[in-house]
Amino acid sequence: MSRGEGPVVSAGALVRLFHVSKSYLAGSWALRDVSLELEKGEFVFLTGPSGAGKSTLMRLIFAGEQPSEGQILVLGRNVGRVGPAGIAPLRRRIGVVFQDFKLLPRRTVEENVGIALDVVGVAEREKRARVFAMLKRVGLHHRRHHHPLSLSGGEQQRLAIARALINDPEILLADEPTGNLDPDLTLEIMDLIADAAARGTAVFVATHDHALIERYGRRVVRLEAGEVVHDAPVRGPLS
Amino acid sequence: MSSVAQVRTALRTALHGVTGSPVTSLVAAGTIGLCLLLVGAFMLLVSNMDRLLDRFGSEIRVSAYLSEELDAPSQQELVARVETAPGVESVELVTKEQALERFRDAQGERAALLDGLEENPLPASLEIALVPEQRNQAGLRVLGEALEGLPGIAELGYGHEWIEGYQQAVALIRGVAFAIGGVLGLATLLIVANTIRLSIYARREEIEIVRLVGGSRSFMAAPFLLEGGAQGIVGGGVGVLLLYGFYWILLPSLRGGLELLLGYAEPAFLGLDESLWLVTAGALLGVLGSALALIQDGDRA
Repeated sequence: MSRGEGPVVSAGALVRLFHVSKSYLAGSWALRDVSLELEKGEFVFLTGPSGAGKSTLMRLIFAGEQPSEGQILVLGRNVGRVGPAGIAPLRRRIGVVFQDFKLLPRRTVEENVGIALDVVGVAEREKRARVFAMLKRVGLHHRRHHHPLSLSGGEQQRLAIARALINDPEILLADEPTGNLDPDLTLEIMDLIADAAARGTAVFVATHDHALIERYGRRVVRLEAGEVVHDAPVRGPLS
Repeated sequence: MSSVAQVRTALRTALHGVTGSPVTSLVAAGTIGLCLLLVGAFMLLVSNMDRLLDRFGSEIRVSAYLSEELDAPSQQELVARVETAPGVESVELVTKEQALERFRDAQGERAALLDGLEENPLPASLEIALVPEQRNQAGLRVLGEALEGLPGIAELGYGHEWIEGYQQAVALIRGVAFAIGGVLGLATLLIVANTIRLSIYARREEIEIVRLVGGSRSFMAAPFLLEGGAQGIVGGGVGVLLLYGFYWILLPSLRGGLELLLGYAEPAFLGLDESLWLVTAGALLGVLGSALALIQDGDRA
């Protein structure tokens, strides 16, 4: 770990992992002794080979799973202790873009985005206005009455990002948000994510795409076999 | 944050659920309807029998036959004393002469036979009416215990002894109705719970996504509870309508049997309050069935 022996505790950190390990089978570790922090407005790439633990790390941050060892503080809450009732309020402050998008096939594009506002009880008129503005931002406003299955892969990805960003989340977790997209669309989507970081959202993007990492030149956390093997800001290609 | 918006969302989601799986919803509503049809049939019978009891209840009286040796002042004294007994509404003294006169009137053409009597064999009596709330077996028993052993009273007569048996029959039918209602209600609850579980299963993907974007447990549960309630209201309404239909269709052929239970009293359908009670029971069954499904499938919702 090139950032030192232990995590540097920062007052502004929105995500803090202290010696976090996750095991699904005895003796086999999906994550091992991971300590890191993510600050407000910070943009971090999470990289590593398939099975390195990137998705597990993201699931732990949005309380999709509990760590086997260690502590995770997200937005000041200890994820291991929030309990079922505390998870929903926590997730409303986190936007997540899933690798498989997780869109509702029987709902329209605007309903798919609006669902994130429904859970916080935003009034109908305000919801419609905010959804339209967000769909315009991702270039999908003209397809708001369509269903996700009629959208292209790139459009579905943008829809997933629109849903993740609609609540102005304090943390954005994006798992391979540009996988299977052409280069132009990839940059379009990454710009949206970078824009969220510029607005103060702490962003964690899991990707295999080294070109993307090099292009944006942000902090990179590299996982291998569940362990952090590299954690540093980059300005050029990874060694 | 608006609770109105959340209610609207829950209603909209529930509507999506119903329209998304109409067969499942119809099965749940139909099951509730059939259950309430049977419970309603028992309610109809019991309510008619109760009505008959109410009608004859006003005729429940106690006759206290007086000793021959009691003179008129003592009889008046006894009247005053009986008037203070528990549950007594009024006391009427029927003298020997009045008793004979009534008997004569009751005999009609055969009254002439009474002319041969050398002396009046009928005793004087007190006709005791009870307050309405005591016009039942318990009230009669309490009064009987109070009057028994009073000096001057030779014998007590209750009349309408059939009412006791009838009341027992009504109580029995009511008990059977409760038992059948309970068993059917439980079975319906389980069927509704299972249909809602199917609905939860069909929408598990949506539920998962709503959870991932921060939907609370109540946010996810509310549409299912509303769905169950709506199915229950529809089922209850259908049950009442079916009962009404069967009542008018089957009434002519059932008249003979009903006369055994109701005498010549005209059968009547359930009142509005009883019909609403059935619909409310349907809604409750639906909501409870949904709640049961949510408890069973708590991990999904």
